[in-house]
Amino acid sequence: MSVSTIAAAATPSKRPVAGRAPGAFWPRFIVGAVILLSWEFVVRAFAPPYVAKPSTTLMAIPRVFADPAFQTATLSTLTAVAQGLGIALVFGTVIGLLMGRSQAMERGFRHYVNGFFAMPMIVVLPLFSLWFGYSAQTRIATIIFAALFSIIINVADGARSVPREYLEVAKAFRASRISVLFGIVLPASMPYLLAGFRLAAGRALIGAVVAEFFLSIGGLGYYILYNSRSYKHSEAFVGVLLLAAFGVCFELLVVWVTRRFMPWYRREDKSA
Amino acid sequence: MLNTALRRHGPFWFSIFAGIAIWEIAGRSASQAFMVPFSTTIAQLWRLILSGEFIRQFLSSAELFLTGFTLALAVGMPLGMLLARARTLRVGLEPYIMILYATPMVALIPFILSMMGFGFAPKVLVVFLFAVFPVLYNTVEGARSIKPEMIEVAHSFRSTEWALWRDVMVPYTLPYTMTGVRQAIGRALVGMIAAEFFLSSTGLGQLIMTASQNFDTAGVFASVFVIALIGVGLMRLGLAIERHFARWRQ
Repeated sequence: MSVSTIAAAATPSKRPVAGRAPGAFWPRFIVGAVILLSWEFVVRAFAPPYVAKPSTTLMAIPRVFADPAFQTATLSTLTAVAQGLGIALVFGTVIGLLMGRSQAMERGFRHYVNGFFAMPMIVVLPLFSLWFGYSAQTRIATIIFAALFSIIINVADGARSVPREYLEVAKAFRASRISVLFGIVLPASMPYLLAGFRLAAGRALIGAVVAEFFLSIGGLGYYILYNSRSYKHSEAFVGVLLLAAFGVCFELLVVWVTRRFMPWYRREDKSA
Repeated sequence: MLNTALRRHGPFWFSIFAGIAIWEIAGRSASQAFMVPFSTTIAQLWRLILSGEFIRQFLSSAELFLTGFTLALAVGMPLGMLLARARTLRVGLEPYIMILYATPMVALIPFILSMMGFGFAPKVLVVFLFAVFPVLYNTVEGARSIKPEMIEVAHSFRSTEWALWRDVMVPYTLPYTMTGVRQAIGRALVGMIAAEFFLSSTGLGQLIMTASQNFDTAGVFASVFVIALIGVGLMRLGLAIERHFARWRQ
């Protein structure tokens, strides 16, 4: 099995965002209302009073957002995710480009990249906490580990599929290897990079939350853990909603960037 | 014969041996508390297997994984297929499925813990939640990809509902569902370990946790190594399943 099969499989790129169909509003509104109402009534009827339900969660939103502890926690998690994603993006792009364009690099690293990608990232936590201590560094390391390999795999796949004519023209003009790599290969593999980034962002969020659970360091994940332990489920659930919102935001961001800056890629979407 | 085999598999084995050599050297030069060499890891793994501990924990994990994953398939596939046919319901549910697909499910573990406690059921629920949405999301994705003309043609030939399902709906959505199944396998594995870490400690997760709490670095390495191998194996299985069904998708 080659890297490209895994990469193709790891590239959920041909996916128009759900939405904007005319006449979709009412079905969505009704389904949403049904979900919320049944949740509310089931919890009211069968569950103990501390369990989160839509009404109490909604009421908790202003309170939680005004809570400085929540603000610090959110900021801390988001900063860590942004830093980790940034580092993973830089290293992932460089390694991915090299793997995509150099056969020796590809052969040397392919199995390790695939192996680390397939590994459930949570298992590295005990190891990382051994190496970096119960600290924010371990969280960053986990986020990088969670994000790096999906970026490498996708960038390498993109770099491999650069049209040969581009490279031939560059060769004819005696372009240096570096400028070919960053001037031609990188822009040409942008859609793959974005697909990898989208996958990586989701994984990075999970990595951050899991690291906070495991290490008990301040952040959104720990906020959720702490509040649900002290039976403030509604407050904790606001944190979950925010996490979900971040997840959706990353998805929408990638879709928007693809549409805005790579409209030609969208055309392929439609035919697919 | 030998030559071609060497050329095909040579780079693979070379890269594996180089990796093991680097691991071995790094392990020998670092403190034993931080890193153990490959040989020690394998020796520790062998001890775990001989003592029966590994097999026991592996089976416990496998039971959790299979129960949760089977449930996810049993719910995700029929529901997704149903949504393939019921257009209005699909349009209504789509955004919510997409949101749940993008939500980091780990964040729900503390709630599950405090509501359901430490039994087997809450852990199955975690694996289920991790695995069900990729199946559902991709099946719905496949349903969206069915061209309305196909169904119209089927209707104008007075196709029965059963024939419509057999010849149009299922063949069209199944490759997408299988993409979801592949994603679900990977996620269910993460869910399994997360459940074993944060709910009651059992299985391979417990193997790591115990080793880590006893500062048994060799034990941590051995269990992480095994789980990595399982991850690779399951991903290959997922890819094989996906490709088997996707052969004519392009």
